[in-house]
Amino acid sequence: MSREFTADLKKRIEEITARYPSRQAALLPVLHLVQGETGFLSAEEERAVASILGLPPIKVREVVTFYTMFTRKPLGRFHLQVCSNLSCSLAAGERILRHLQAKLGIGVGETTPDGKYTLTEVECLGACEQAPCMMVNFDYHGNLDPEKVERIMEELK
Amino acid sequence: METKVLTKDFGLDHLYRIGVYLEQGGYRAVKKALTEWKPEQVIDEVKKASLRGRGGAGFPAGLKWSFVPQKTDKPKYLCVNADEGEPGTFKDRSIMAHDPHLLIEGIIIAAYAVGIHTAYIYIRGEYELIARRLEGAIGEAYAKGYLGKNILGIGFDLELYVHRGAGAYICGEETGLLESLEGKRGNPRLKPPFPASVGLFQSPTVINNVETLANVPFIILNGAGWFLERGSPKDGGTRIFGVSGAVNKPGIYELPVGTSLREIIFTHAGGLKPGRALKAVIPGGMSCPIFKADEVDVKMDCDCVAAAGSMLGSGAVIVIDDRTPILDVLSKVAKFYAHESCGQCTPCRLGTSWIHKIVKRMAAGKGRADDVETLVRLSTNIKGRTLCPLGDAAALPVLAIARKFKAELENTMKGNA
Amino acid sequence: MAKIFLDGKPVEVAEGTTVFKAAQQAGIAIPHFCYHPAFVPEGSCRLCLVEIEGSPKLELSCSTVVREGMKVSTQSPTVREARRGVLEFILAEHPLDCPICDKAGECKLQDYYQDYGLTESVFREFKEKREKKVRIGDKLILDRERCVLCTRCVRFLAEITKTHELGLFERGIHAEIGGYENEPVRNGYSGNLVDLCPVGAITDTDFRFKTRPWFLTKGESICPLCSRGCNIYIDYHPGFPRVPGSAKVYRIRPRTNDAVNGPWICDHGRYGFIDLQQKNRCQTLVWNKGERTAEWSWDKVLITIGERVKALRENGKTNRISLILTTWLTNEELFLIKKIFKDGLGVRNVFFADPAPGPEDGFLLRSERTPNRRGAREMGFDLKAPDLNALVPDTDILFIFGPHFAGISHDGAWKPALEKIPVKILVTSHLNELASTADFVLPAAFLAEKNGTLTNADGRVQKIAAIARACFDIRPESQILLDLAREIRLDDSYFGALSAPEAVHHELVKEIPFFGALP
Repeated sequence: MSREFTADLKKRIEEITARYPSRQAALLPVLHLVQGETGFLSAEEERAVASILGLPPIKVREVVTFYTMFTRKPLGRFHLQVCSNLSCSLAAGERILRHLQAKLGIGVGETTPDGKYTLTEVECLGACEQAPCMMVNFDYHGNLDPEKVERIMEELK
Repeated sequence: METKVLTKDFGLDHLYRIGVYLEQGGYRAVKKALTEWKPEQVIDEVKKASLRGRGGAGFPAGLKWSFVPQKTDKPKYLCVNADEGEPGTFKDRSIMAHDPHLLIEGIIIAAYAVGIHTAYIYIRGEYELIARRLEGAIGEAYAKGYLGKNILGIGFDLELYVHRGAGAYICGEETGLLESLEGKRGNPRLKPPFPASVGLFQSPTVINNVETLANVPFIILNGAGWFLERGSPKDGGTRIFGVSGAVNKPGIYELPVGTSLREIIFTHAGGLKPGRALKAVIPGGMSCPIFKADEVDVKMDCDCVAAAGSMLGSGAVIVIDDRTPILDVLSKVAKFYAHESCGQCTPCRLGTSWIHKIVKRMAAGKGRADDVETLVRLSTNIKGRTLCPLGDAAALPVLAIARKFKAELENTMKGNA
Repeated sequence: MAKIFLDGKPVEVAEGTTVFKAAQQAGIAIPHFCYHPAFVPEGSCRLCLVEIEGSPKLELSCSTVVREGMKVSTQSPTVREARRGVLEFILAEHPLDCPICDKAGECKLQDYYQDYGLTESVFREFKEKREKKVRIGDKLILDRERCVLCTRCVRFLAEITKTHELGLFERGIHAEIGGYENEPVRNGYSGNLVDLCPVGAITDTDFRFKTRPWFLTKGESICPLCSRGCNIYIDYHPGFPRVPGSAKVYRIRPRTNDAVNGPWICDHGRYGFIDLQQKNRCQTLVWNKGERTAEWSWDKVLITIGERVKALRENGKTNRISLILTTWLTNEELFLIKKIFKDGLGVRNVFFADPAPGPEDGFLLRSERTPNRRGAREMGFDLKAPDLNALVPDTDILFIFGPHFAGISHDGAWKPALEKIPVKILVTSHLNELASTADFVLPAAFLAEKNGTLTNADGRVQKIAAIARACFDIRPESQILLDLAREIRLDDSYFGALSAPEAVHHELVKEIPFFGALP
């Protein structure tokens, strides 16, 4: 079974493919685009992307499973991605992750039952001057401590 | 002498808008290079300036450009490596966020020098907001005629696109980047052939780091001599050191190449927090072998740091204080490379995982007396034997920690059953 | 040519040769998993590293091209240490299920382990748990724990069949081979994945847990299932004493011949061969007389048939003998038929009944689903299909070779026609409804059980050999034909000298030089 993209999405996909001499090269940007629309990449989306870019679906699956930012299952509305790499841990970053686990009542890699939050441990986000840091969807938050995390969570509501 | 070159205007509001950028004299270097210089003059000047790659390997940029064949029936490509993923590194993000037009200027000049008409900025997927900022800046540059067809009326065309990665450290490796840009898994390629002859879409390709390209406009405007004065003789200019970890003032510090590591930590980054002492420093991002506290009097240029047994890498200085067990540092290193190994070649896929398993066990209080020895042996079996540099990046820091902090690690294990 | 030094010995190889191939030509085997001559080097297994003078690091022999004067060491302590290191990494995570692994005995990992003398394991961590029985094709099972990720299977499906059924998912230690949403590998060439796999990660359900490779003898032969003439190995179990039925052909594998099939064979041939070898075999000599069926001895049957033929011959009516042949017969068998029936007895009614053509697949499988039409044509036979109207009124004795005549019409029109012919003799390796209509049924050898040559569609004359022994009383057609010649006293001195298989081929080449082109 394959899903049909809207005319608008198809148009945007064609704009992307025009940037490259091969349609396959558009795969990452197109997957970002589709995941932005649907929230995650099911087999349906994979097949649709494969068909529009002229690829075997397995080539799409190979790529989707290689990159950490592509997800094959739905995420919470707010995706909390907490860095656990060295610079953040030197700035007591581990307690941010612990704090969020306790607050949300979920483990790392899990989504709250209401589908609101997903908590992920990530490698270096490239914002070490603001360690410890996390990303909420695509927004960076740095210099975190449990109080600041509380304020951020307050605003997410 | 004012040391800040690239970051000089970072404090200005809305520097990322082309209007503000032009007010600061922006795009003068493009005008100069494209209208007054021949492409080969640009390459020569960059060679003379000893501009070395800011991404990690420190390869001379001008030399890299000169490897691309002048005459070819294939299109040539420029890929800007903005896949900043080396732990501890955040300088390229700062450049792109504050001064995207500076990067665009560097790109235009590099493309002109090598005869390239299509360029892609491969930016790590997490930098989504920055990617949007870049796209905004690129739009402005097109509108002003610095990109697109017949730039400045000299008949030179350049299309520039932003291409977002999707979360894979290995795509910072140049051939992993090319694979990823082609819509594939970021598995690095066998070399040779090198990208300069067979790169993106099987065509000659230049891959440069963001900071490397951001230096180019200043070389054009001020000349190689001026640039060299700001750094070391074989390693010109300034570097943006990103300092993080146990210092009072983490952040980016643009300093002459060759500034001492001690000065960076204690003078610029404000030293360590009260009551804490320096234990160790990773000088150029996580893949670079660690220095102990008594090794920080090293000049931070590619050759001096190499002579001291490490690498300048991306200039990401991670400062570790005396309250941090070295096993914690080792754990982060082992976890990171096991997580980021693409899995393509045997020693890296299985070696990084094995090392990670040992270190996890050590961290769980189940270390054994011979574990450190095993770590050394396994790292040695990875080093120099993998398909791409990630193997070395994973092995070298483990080797350095295991050797330099052997006593501490073995002490940790005492009392374990 | 370039002169290089391999382990100190000078070797001359063509420019552009890789170090790996140069070593191979010099008889030096370099261990490898990912390298395969049919694919572009991938360089991922890191086993084929060698030391090249002047190079700071070990280099890949599979992808490094020789340079004049290059000094290569394939066995230096550094090289051996590097290989040991790679093997240690693989073995750390590899399951130790060799005792129940089908690949044991022909597993590269086992071989290299021996060669590089690994002893004690220092791996004290938990091995990754992975699925051990993933069905990836009609006959294919993937064991992810055994997989060394050489990706030969993925590359075969991407580069050779271009069907992309398998891919590489996840990354790092979690990287694994898999199909898309359980879609099976189904492309007519799936069996090659088992041969390609250097370890026991992909196994064949036809072979799985059935026997052990070290019980098998490997014989060289030709696949008969189409006119391509793919070169194959027949893996035959000679059987255990006192275990009836244990002698058996277990596998067919491709034998590399770049001029014919490269390193591959198709599933139609691979699995079709085994089916033919094992199923519906004609096992007993039968004489059907009215309602009675009797099992006779070879001597008695041949004497009886001989007498019938002699009777016609005495009356000068051997032109009332007709033949329905098949191009499953070897060149030598066809030659004997030509000598005995056409030249010796003046038989003119000769027809051919072959399996119906099938679709071509654009790669190896050809539409002619029979191995020797070219041979029959070169022999001077007119390959016309049986014409019942022409056949029946003129025939007193009909010899039918092979079972394919039954397939010429789906309505069974041949049956009432055949019943009008007084004597029908069927010589066949396989049974079908023809057997009940024939007066004599003579069980013949299948291809794996006889010697001879076949001529493929391109005119290559290729050898087959008696590799297997049937566990019932069969005779190769050539022997049946020679026995018959003896019974009817046809040129004793000529046919008497042809009892050795090579002798027939020799005579054939003498008469028709075309068949001398035996590669």
